Amino acid sequence: MTRLVLVRLVWMLPILLGVSVVAFVLMRALPGDFAQASAGTTELAPGALDILRRGLGLDRPVWEQYLLWLGRLLRGDFGDSFITHKPVLGELLPRLAVTAELTLIAGAMALALGVTSGLASARLRGRTDWLVRGINGLMLAVPNFVVATLIVLLAGLYFPDLGIFNYTPFATDPMGNIGSLLLPAFSLALAVSVTISENTRAAVLEVSSQDFVMVARAKGLRPGTILRNYLVRNALTPVITATGLQLASLLGGSILIETIFTIPGMGQYLFDSVTSRNYPSVQAIVLVAASIVLLVNVLVDIAYARVDARVSYD
Amino acid sequence: MLAVMVLVTVFGPLIAPYDPSGTSPDSLAGPAAAHWLGTDSIGRDVLSRLIIGGRTTLLITFVSVALAVAGGLVLGLFSGYVGGRADQAIMRLLDVVFAFPVFLLAIAVVAALGPTVPNLILTIAIVYTPRLARVVRGPVLSVKRWDHVEAARSVGVGELRIAVRHVLPLVVSPILVETSLTLAQTIFTVTALSFLGLGPPPPDPNWGAMLSEARQFMELAPLTVIGPAAAIVFATLTFIVLANGLREWLDVASR
Repeated sequence: MTRLVLVRLVWMLPILLGVSVVAFVLMRALPGDFAQASAGTTELAPGALDILRRGLGLDRPVWEQYLLWLGRLLRGDFGDSFITHKPVLGELLPRLAVTAELTLIAGAMALALGVTSGLASARLRGRTDWLVRGINGLMLAVPNFVVATLIVLLAGLYFPDLGIFNYTPFATDPMGNIGSLLLPAFSLALAVSVTISENTRAAVLEVSSQDFVMVARAKGLRPGTILRNYLVRNALTPVITATGLQLASLLGGSILIETIFTIPGMGQYLFDSVTSRNYPSVQAIVLVAASIVLLVNVLVDIAYARVDARVSYD
Repeated sequence: MLAVMVLVTVFGPLIAPYDPSGTSPDSLAGPAAAHWLGTDSIGRDVLSRLIIGGRTTLLITFVSVALAVAGGLVLGLFSGYVGGRADQAIMRLLDVVFAFPVFLLAIAVVAALGPTVPNLILTIAIVYTPRLARVVRGPVLSVKRWDHVEAARSVGVGELRIAVRHVLPLVVSPILVETSLTLAQTIFTVTALSFLGLGPPPPDPNWGAMLSEARQFMELAPLTVIGPAAAIVFATLTFIVLANGLREWLDVASR
């Protein structure tokens, strides 16, 4: 087990290195001059740009620039924002916390919604199954930003006093904070819950047809006991894996949802940075998000191996 | 459904009742005989904009997915068929791209290149190529060990010809299914990017930007929101149904 964890974590390093190269190349591939962009709209004397370039290290060879950038990165220095001229990391972290909260609430909602509907669909069969699968099929086709827009529209039409646009910081009012995130989280959770629901349904159906369930039923255990101790426990492993792997889409979706509900999270930061051409911030966000996705994928792998002894990665 | 979409895309300019960028004095009008779906905030006909906007959205979707499929085919076939070191190298490279959330990568690339139609197509092709390459590679790995490949080689058929003529036709089914699923996701990516203002530049209409613009006045004219929303859902649903249909018809084991 320890070996597995180590191997997985070590494997992450070359991929992370590759990720950093992509992020760097993206930054260098930008049309226009980095120094020019960094200077913003200020009028500069002819020699000033050269000085600025030297200051940013842009007169050195590209590989040397990359190593310098990587070195600063390893010391936790993501560079300074073009707009505020403050370190990007300091601006990113509080926003990352907001996005993490939104993603976690959405994940929990998706899990609750998906497992319940999947379980109902597999156990009750018949009309319930038909209904759940129909709704799932339809929901799969509704992008999260459309859901969010429609929620805002309905709220605006029928509950004008609800004030769903008022994001409340956690520090001022913890309950209000969670409350203000519920609708955004719901619009994020809906599409993910479909995947979870379908996975749960398939897993429960598969486990139900296995011998030990039939034995349990034959020896007269109550249906509730069978459901709890046999079905859910065995069916949930693949479901949890699938949920973990949905994290990337939750993170990507939060960009849209945060913009629609004006939540000051990482997604909105990315959107603002992109529209204002604030490149250091864009790179930092891309890098951080990719690292998180990688880490979660590794954790999912490890968790899977822990729960299911049959899995090995040798 | 697919037929409706293709027809509207091809014959859009003939069907559209008004100039999509032309304004009229009655803005934010409700549905009426003159404007079936009403007008937007500066009096443009919503139905016409939906039809013409669909052209842009679907054009980007189809072309970029075609490119991604082509790229994925070449990469996956090469990687799976040649195998060994080259395969390992390509797969590790793709691992790197997989680490980025698709949408995030798309935003960063479009932002870097600038939001124009060719750049959007290029970006989406880049973002989806690795996934298709992986779908192609899997079956190639097993098919290349089959007897008929060995037989072809023993009678002296060239490697490239074997790969294209004797391996490729046997891996077409999963590629078709994955392609239609990718189409559905690309609709999402394209409209979401335009929703954020990273789509084709105005005044050309497109579904994502229409939805985004309409949010400002949606309490006054709900139809301006519901129109593009319904169009996006319709297009996505079409491709998902297509994928499911193909999967059953071609009997591809679901993963």
